[in-house]
Amino acid sequence: MKKMEIEFILNGKKRKIEVKPNDLLINIIREDLYLTGTKYGCGLGECGVCTVLLNGEPVLSCLTLAITVDGKEITTIEGLAQGDELHPLQKAFLKNGAVQCGFCTPGMILTATALLRENPDATEDEIRNYMRGNLCRCTGYVQIIKAIKECTSIKNKGLTN
Amino acid sequence: MKQIKYISPRTKEEALEVLQQEKDRACIVAGCSNVLPNLKDKKIAPQILVDITTLESLKGIFKKEGKILLGPLTTINELISSKIILEEYPVLTQAAREFADPIVRNTATVGGNLVTASPAADLAVPLLSLDAIVKIESLGDKREVNLINFFTAPGETILNSHELVVGIEFKQSDINKNGCFMKIGQRKAMAISIATLAVNLDWKENTINQIRIAAGSVAPTPLRLTGVEEFLKNKKLNQELIEEAVIKVSKEVNPISDIRASEGYRRYISGILFKRAIERLAN
Ligand SMILES: Cc1cc2nc3c(=O)[nH]c(=O)nc-3n(C[C@H](O)[C@H](O)[C@H](O)COP(=O)(O)OP(=O)(O)OC[C@H]3O[C@@H](n4cnc5c(N)ncnc54)[C@H](O)[C@@H]3O)c2cc1C
Ligand code: FES
Ligand code: FES
Repeated sequence: MKKMEIEFILNGKKRKIEVKPNDLLINIIREDLYLTGTKYGCGLGECGVCTVLLNGEPVLSCLTLAITVDGKEITTIEGLAQGDELHPLQKAFLKNGAVQCGFCTPGMILTATALLRENPDATEDEIRNYMRGNLCRCTGYVQIIKAIKECTSIKNKGLTN
Repeated sequence: MKQIKYISPRTKEEALEVLQQEKDRACIVAGCSNVLPNLKDKKIAPQILVDITTLESLKGIFKKEGKILLGPLTTINELISSKIILEEYPVLTQAAREFADPIVRNTATVGGNLVTASPAADLAVPLLSLDAIVKIESLGDKREVNLINFFTAPGETILNSHELVVGIEFKQSDINKNGCFMKIGQRKAMAISIATLAVNLDWKENTINQIRIAAGSVAPTPLRLTGVEEFLKNKKLNQELIEEAVIKVSKEVNPISDIRASEGYRRYISGILFKRAIERLAN
């Protein structure tokens, strides 16, 4: 199958790569660019573990054709920390025990960055509503919500229930 | 493996030319949320993917002379954040807020939702109750179809393979301003609808001037309940009338039993959704 060259910015760095028209973004990220932080779960848009930021907006890399990111900017979980300094959400997840097996964590954190950018004062209900497509099978939701809540601008409110 | 090609046309005209040439060998891709799962499951096997997402002329929400025009590439999130949709066509905002989750809403489009023609297409229902028109173009030709005549069977529409949906249009009017959408799913988030229902109502001094009722997941296609609409027209709105209409709604829908719900439950719940919606609008 004929490959086409695309160029995009991945975690701040310019990347050029050849892709087939039906290559999924998730496979390119994991298998060609070796960034395995982005996980492959359902492959059908249902679970959210493959979430990446495309021009700052969360999208599902299992439902994105790699070819369509030509000229755009992608952030994966590997691109959040500044050197050795973890992103505040990453720190909050660690501190609150919001990571059990960790499979859902990259998607959770990337979705949460978009939520907090759109709505820095998000309430618990708003957080739950926004994160509704990111599933955690270790049922760590309470800690996950708590960690995100800690990063809202009205800090340390704790859980309402 | 078969060769698959990809093209990202620079203009609408170029897209129409490709569609004219390739016909059913081509598959238009917008937000991909239906196309990619279908490709994966081998439900479709196109030879060329025609990516329309870069066509600016198919994007945006425009107000013009008493009408609103949605570009087919309008995403669900763009609908949710549109002030004019919220103020003038709240039934659409309500439905968009129930749609999937914020991540899917970033890419899923209105045009893709209509053309997919799922019986459970959530935006089809409010758009039916807004009496929307679908604008269609092909190379050198244009036509407009009322949404009520757009769907023909599960997954099928009147659209030909060389045609492109270029807009969805509906009127600014009192009835379109007063609408309510209801959805029942197995859970609150990411659930395929068991039943949906939208009502738009224009009434004065307790009398119904005009009412539109649309329902989803309760027939082979999203549908308007024109029988109940006729029955209610020019009648005085009171509890007795509502109870009568609830029974008529349950009779007019045409559901099947599947893994999500039985036919009987769907008939029953459609009536209840209608009752809740009309009571909300009348209060
Ligand atoms: C996890 C998940 C959750 C979902 N939840 C919901 C939900 O709650 N409610 C719901 O209704 N749907 C839901 N869907 C289904 C889907 O997201 C919607 O139908 C969506 O609106 C499709 O839009 P799209 O832009 O992604 O379409 P695409 O997948 O790009 O295209 C869908 C079809 O439309 C055609 N097409 C697209 N644009 C045009 C055009 N302008 N002219 C002609 N043909 C065109 C394509 O060729 C294709 O056949 C969900 C899907 C997923 C994966
Ligand atoms: S792997 Fe993409 S949503 Fe599940
Ligand atoms: S921590 Fe295991 S799936 Fe969420």
